[in-house]
Amino acid sequence: MDKGPRPGQALRVLAASGQLGNGIPEAALKAGLAREPHVLGCDMGSIDVGPAYLGGGRLATSPAITKRDLRLVIQGARQAGVPLLIGSAGTAGAAPHVEQTLAMIRAIAQEDGLRLRIAIIGADMDRAWLRAMAEAGRVQPIGAIGALTPATIDGAAHIVGQMGTEAFLRALALEPDIVLAGRACDTAVFAAVPLMLGYAPGPATHMAKIIECTSLCCVPGGRDAMLGTLTGESFELESMNPARAATPVSVAAHSLYEQADPLRVHEPEGMMDTTNAVYEAIDDRRVRVSGATWTPAARHSIKVEGASFVGERAVLLASTTDPRVIEKRDSIAAGVRKIVADILPGAGDYDLRFRAYGAGETNLFPGAREGLPVPAELFFLLECIAADADTAKAIIGVAKQNLLHFGFPGRLSTGGNIAFPFTPPELPAGTAYRYSIYHVAECDDLAGAFPVRMETIG
Amino acid sequence: MSGRRLIDIARVIRSKNAGPLHCTLDILFADDATFREALASPAMTRESMARLYGVSATTVEVIPYAAAHAIKVVLDRPVVAGSPGDSDVYGAQQHAPLLGVVL
Repeated sequence: MDKGPRPGQALRVLAASGQLGNGIPEAALKAGLAREPHVLGCDMGSIDVGPAYLGGGRLATSPAITKRDLRLVIQGARQAGVPLLIGSAGTAGAAPHVEQTLAMIRAIAQEDGLRLRIAIIGADMDRAWLRAMAEAGRVQPIGAIGALTPATIDGAAHIVGQMGTEAFLRALALEPDIVLAGRACDTAVFAAVPLMLGYAPGPATHMAKIIECTSLCCVPGGRDAMLGTLTGESFELESMNPARAATPVSVAAHSLYEQADPLRVHEPEGMMDTTNAVYEAIDDRRVRVSGATWTPAARHSIKVEGASFVGERAVLLASTTDPRVIEKRDSIAAGVRKIVADILPGAGDYDLRFRAYGAGETNLFPGAREGLPVPAELFFLLECIAADADTAKAIIGVAKQNLLHFGFPGRLSTGGNIAFPFTPPELPAGTAYRYSIYHVAECDDLAGAFPVRMETIG
Repeated sequence: MSGRRLIDIARVIRSKNAGPLHCTLDILFADDATFREALASPAMTRESMARLYGVSATTVEVIPYAAAHAIKVVLDRPVVAGSPGDSDVYGAQQHAPLLGVVL
């Protein structure tokens, strides 16, 4: 990259995927590669998919599609002769996710006869360090979650931190073909090369923040590759699918997406502010953006994420159209719950939930559950989380049979209170996890928190 | 302007998590004038949003974002995303109460 552009010249960053592993649209990727980008970036993960992947150490995407997508971007980057940066490897970016992704890259290199130098950046947080930081009062919750205690740290299955550009810059200094990063800020993947080449961090970070979701900032939004061209104080955006248009409003609106604050983005190394950003149409499908500012952090910090084991889950799928079952569902559930407790007194701690879809179950907020019409049909999802899978299955089985035949005053449906869409209607649903850590920790040594190692394949 | 429902005048009404501890509601309008009029409505204050969702006003923020003709509402999630008892892991289906809001 020594021969790369300098501020004032056009630096082209191609965002190939906002969540690699879901099927990269190939035509737009090829169109983007034809524009001779200086770097290819992919985001592979998110915290939004839920705690099962961080907790369980597994990918949210299918192995076959993930490998297909990896092959597309590796081949594309090698043919273009530019670095490939991958952030939040394997969905959640902890060691098992990075290893599974790396195994796929090794297989691709072997099958395609490629020689690849890979810089791998770990994102697993050192637990002793985190405990010391929490004890020193240097870790804060990001919202309504408890203070970080030693028990919380010990109980987490995996704990990762979101790395910023600092880690990518260290990796890029080793001149790898691929940077494979564990959990990373999505902006860091796309801002790292601009920063390495000396571009201003405000516009570079703003461009990264927009293109990390590829063409989602367009109308109509989509997942096609997005090209960001940074010249210095401004950048241009263009979808690599000609059917998608970036407009000033569509691009500005993207700042709202999955952000609590549309104007400010906090990164480990500082804060990007788009209060004075200007969005101008170049033509009917390209936008020029300028005006974002960057304030370096007085103290570096890391967003830390952890997931812990809850139990093993089993579910029952059933439904009803009986108006009396619908009306008395709460007392029926209480009755069934009591029978389960009587039949399985030794089941230990378990969590049995009766979810009645059609009666507002989707709503998280109490106000949204008020004033809903009486439904003509309900879908029951019974959910049990117990210490082990056998216990969960036993509880859900007893609940099933007793919900089916529960007697109540005024009952008409003595053939059965519920319908099953298929058998068995009770199913194991795997291991349940929860996010136990979502905190921000001050950090005096980012390089120590996110170590880089090199591996040469082939 | 008064008396019109959000569903009739907004271009986008959506919800999504912003991290596992917050749910955000975005209401995007087609132009600046509609955005300004909605923003001025007593139905769009922090207190009104808190009442609509049945939560304390201290857990609600209303953030105007003129560049996109948009109003963002940020709510503390009552359940951490994906924890037992959650009913919308991505937070993508919490916008329905907004549809019938009368400005």
